[in-house]
Amino acid sequence: MTQSNPAKQRSSGRRGTRLRRQQLAGLLFVAPAVLLVIVFFLVPLGMAFWMSLHNWPLLGRPRFIGLTNYLNLMNDQRFWNAMRFTGYYTVIVTIVIFAVAFPLALFAEKARPMIKVYRTAIFLPVVVGFGSASLLWAWLMNVDVGLFSPLAYRLGLTEKPVNLLASFDTTFWSIIVMVVWKTAGFNMIILLTGLQGISTEVQEAARIDGASSWQRFRRITLPLMRRTIALALILSVAGSVLAFDQFYIIADGGPQNSTVTAVYWIFSQSFVSFRLGYGAAMSMVLLAILVTISVVQLRLLRTPEGA
Amino acid sequence: MKGFKAALLALVAVQASAGAALAQQKLTMWSRSSSEAFMPSLVKAFNAAHKTQIELQIVPNTEMVQKYAISAAGGSAPDLLSLDLVYTPAFAASGQLEDLTDLVKGFPFFDQLSKAHLGAGSYEGRIFGTPMSADASVMLWNKKLFKQAGLDPEKGPTNWAEIEEYAGKVNAIGGDIRGFYFSGACGGCNAFTFMPLVWASGGEILADGARKATLNTPQMRDAVALYRGLVAKGYVPESARTDAGPNFFGGFATDRIGMSPIGAFAIGNLVKNYPNVEFGVTFLPGKTGGKASFAGGDNFVVTAGRKNMPAVKEFLSFVYSLEGQTLLAKLGSLPTRADVAAEAVKSLDQRYLTATEAMKIGRTPSSPVYNDIINSSTGPWKQMLNEVFFGKDVEGSLVKAEKTMQSIIDQSGK
Repeated sequence: MTQSNPAKQRSSGRRGTRLRRQQLAGLLFVAPAVLLVIVFFLVPLGMAFWMSLHNWPLLGRPRFIGLTNYLNLMNDQRFWNAMRFTGYYTVIVTIVIFAVAFPLALFAEKARPMIKVYRTAIFLPVVVGFGSASLLWAWLMNVDVGLFSPLAYRLGLTEKPVNLLASFDTTFWSIIVMVVWKTAGFNMIILLTGLQGISTEVQEAARIDGASSWQRFRRITLPLMRRTIALALILSVAGSVLAFDQFYIIADGGPQNSTVTAVYWIFSQSFVSFRLGYGAAMSMVLLAILVTISVVQLRLLRTPEGA
Repeated sequence: MKGFKAALLALVAVQASAGAALAQQKLTMWSRSSSEAFMPSLVKAFNAAHKTQIELQIVPNTEMVQKYAISAAGGSAPDLLSLDLVYTPAFAASGQLEDLTDLVKGFPFFDQLSKAHLGAGSYEGRIFGTPMSADASVMLWNKKLFKQAGLDPEKGPTNWAEIEEYAGKVNAIGGDIRGFYFSGACGGCNAFTFMPLVWASGGEILADGARKATLNTPQMRDAVALYRGLVAKGYVPESARTDAGPNFFGGFATDRIGMSPIGAFAIGNLVKNYPNVEFGVTFLPGKTGGKASFAGGDNFVVTAGRKNMPAVKEFLSFVYSLEGQTLLAKLGSLPTRADVAAEAVKSLDQRYLTATEAMKIGRTPSSPVYNDIINSSTGPWKQMLNEVFFGKDVEGSLVKAEKTMQSIIDQSGK
């Protein structure tokens, strides 16, 4: 007993050093990533939070006001209007994107002639920046010199050129079409990878067992694509909640401020009204909402076995 | 290592001396896009005659304030700025601007500089902005179209009934010719051109030293009814409804519009870039006559702490010289120095005299939250205009906008 003790201590000591060394090495390996996260995420986040506690004009000296910005925010009707519109837009656009991207993925998965051309064509709008795409569509939608209304007028579909940006519904749905055109390809690619990850043997076995194509889709494809769908959904929802460019460039928040999104309102308060502190406070609230939504989505779409 | 250090020192020395030389001779300046007709020429003339060189950059009207504020916060603001005069107090209050009081008061013609500009350019008794360019809102009419419509091409409208009548007659020419144009989704444009219609009829937008918003007034409702009528009768192009400002000038310049309320800046721009458009200039009338104008334009301001006063003085001396004022007037800005104004516009036609007259009766509403309540694209003024011109519930929109405006004003006081 007395003899073995020192030996044990020695060996455990050696093991400890090795463990510490391994831990240190591990720390070194993750250090660059940790540094990136700290410098480009945690520090700015902390600064934004610090800003949100101030009356912080773009020009001039900031003044500490505690939680006043957050209290004002509760009663800011225009912020909540923007949030409501953002929610409405997110729900609609996500449904439409999936309704378009899923069939596209099913279509693009099967080997058929010219499939690479199709895939490329569908994916192409994704590589256009949102800003440039918005400018392009702002022109397409222009009532005088654009494409849609003058074309409809020339073809005799409308009595006079219709100004698409003059009413909420036409503005909203035109932008939905533009966003779907722009992002459906990206979602298609994500869903495609999920589809291709399902082994053909499972499908074949089901077919031999006499499952119809709808049954196979419902019972095999969908459950096995759960994680892919979760990824596509979270990316799509997060992107939609943060929508700004298209509403700023195409509609200028109009008609009559009815398409002002949350980020647009934050931008407007920060860089038009120069209330950076207030803008920061709203950003924090938006961040909290977005995190909550993402967590809920992850929970709902978690595979039952936890795999 | 020693060599490296020496090289580094040399490099620093070279850069420092280059920096000093640049500060003496090369200044950067920003100006907004509505001054595109005259600022580049003015700066070019100045550069040609002086050792000091100014590099001018034109910034879109709607981006100017944000762009400057952001670059000022980042330390990369231009040395000089031609700034919409309504913003001067806010900028001066934040400590961004150089105090120009001594320099400006040193000019023997100080008393002759535009009072509206200096008034807006003063903060706590010191002068931070001096007149750069001036603009007054006026009504333009297209003489060629008036003739075609059987109207007297030499007579513009003098009251609202005439506006409606003339617009109708021009509209009757048919094709894509319309009677009237305004930017229906632009707050700033309509502050400039629509507010004076209310003023000329005896109404106010801001009362009580800009502490009280007064939108729901009989004068406002009448002015709104005029525009609604023009829209309802189809005298206004469909695109006006969503024009957030890009076509403010372009609408009339197409030569297919009978009348358009616009700024004097359009005179120079039309003469220079659209010589085919034959146009007349008159005052913005009230309901049954009278006249009013929005005195706008830019103040010249200097970013604080740049130590470039000699160059600034050189530039301002040039701007206020007869040569500078004549050049400005010729290209579309109104003269800002009264004692040489007559001389400066002498060689120009009648249209400039109308604009100079409009400048004299011009008013400039001033509020620390001007950008928020009037110019902002998400602000209450812009939203209200679009609702009352094209929407259904005029009364409701006016009440709602007045309430929103008032709450913004009240909040800023806290």
